[in-house]
Amino acid sequence: MSIASGNVFGFWLFIAISALVIYTINASQRGKLKVTIRPIAGLEAIEECVGRATEMGRPVHFSPGLGDVVTTAAADTLAALQILSYVTDVAARYDARFLVTIRMPNVYPLASETVRQGYIAANKADAYRENTVRYISSDQDAYAAGVIGLFHQEKVASSILAGLYMGEALLLAESAARLGIMQVAITASVTQIPFFVAACDYTVIGEELYAAGAYLTDDKGRLGGIAAQDYIKLIVIVFILLGTFMTSMGSNVIQELLTM
Amino acid sequence: MRKEAPLLITFVVALIVMLSQVTTGNVPGLGISMPVLFERYISPWMTVVSAFSLCLASVNLIVIHSRNVSRKQPEWIYSLILLGSLVLYGAWCTYVQINPDNAAAAATYSLLYNNILSPLMTGQWACLAFYVASASYRAFRARNLEATVLLVSAILVMLGATPVGGVIWSKFPVIQRWLIDVPNMTGQRALLIGAAIGSFVACLRTMLGIERSHLGIGGGS
Repeated sequence: MSIASGNVFGFWLFIAISALVIYTINASQRGKLKVTIRPIAGLEAIEECVGRATEMGRPVHFSPGLGDVVTTAAADTLAALQILSYVTDVAARYDARFLVTIRMPNVYPLASETVRQGYIAANKADAYRENTVRYISSDQDAYAAGVIGLFHQEKVASSILAGLYMGEALLLAESAARLGIMQVAITASVTQIPFFVAACDYTVIGEELYAAGAYLTDDKGRLGGIAAQDYIKLIVIVFILLGTFMTSMGSNVIQELLTM
Repeated sequence: MRKEAPLLITFVVALIVMLSQVTTGNVPGLGISMPVLFERYISPWMTVVSAFSLCLASVNLIVIHSRNVSRKQPEWIYSLILLGSLVLYGAWCTYVQINPDNAAAAATYSLLYNNILSPLMTGQWACLAFYVASASYRAFRARNLEATVLLVSAILVMLGATPVGGVIWSKFPVIQRWLIDVPNMTGQRALLIGAAIGSFVACLRTMLGIERSHLGIGGGS
């Protein structure tokens, strides 16, 4: 068994970057690396969302997006589940009615267990209801229709949309905006960001989705991962600058290295 | 063991998936390549797990909507329609699968799909045009510098993309192309690179068992 041609550099870069990530996570956990994240207004607003729903006596809605956990959208969905864990904790503490809507069947057991454990951890196991986490439909259109219907029926006060979104992003966000629902959207789906910016009260974009778990929980291991992201970004920037310079000089060394 | 087993399975499966993408040749001692190992031993399990998840999710759906109907909750009629549709489409589709030679049954199923579900979906997506207009109106109000820049850029892009823009001033399409190809593309690429790195680190944390909140067994580390 050997590394396939075209993947050699990528493979060794993967090993090196993995080592860097593990090192920074360990360093952060041991207190050798202090990581601070700049304030992110959208993530700060989550507690306000839940508080608003509690004051109004109406439910707070959470969606972990349209992505699955067995596709390339897995990272987005797992990041959304980290946020779900935090929102569950806040909802349980505030005694807010909580609704989680699910599109992908594979996400349902994960979300269900995350919410159940969240209520148990907050010593509010009795407050957990079987209908807190609701599977709507794996069909994109039916999911959007189901969630919009739920906004009307349950008179939802706030909505948090996290994870991967596609064409129905505006359907969900604009329907909620028309009903006066306070909304926080957290997504790395580049094509849907403009729609969320237009329709939501707060929008958390791009890599901030993956940083949300660390930001909300202040977990040192997760914060170490965020520091690693910055170091990797630095490496990428060096490659981009070097590649641009070398190509401008007529050399394709960087391209050959990357496709080795 | 309840905590360790899912983490071990995640690590081993993620490693096989990753290696199946970058390696070639047979795995020593196994006599098959990583892609074959993945296709033969991992992929079927994904189908099995997905089938179980779908069963769990369907039970959740049926329980919630049956309760809505039995307790006559507000708008329970929609729950009844959902349950009825579930039974109708499920039974019909199963019948069509079992009797592939029955062309009339298959045609009726297609008829149901094309005349009920498709128009509903089309109607829903048609609402998007109005939603885009109302959302744009709110976003484009020049409340601050950023919103003003957005408003001006949007007007220029709209003028450049429509034939009338080119008639008014021939440079509108050029400006529109520049706005899309340079500032827009720069921002999108920056977001994509950042998101890709974030996604990679998140996957690595999950693969190594550092991230485990999705398993309902504690937070990050």
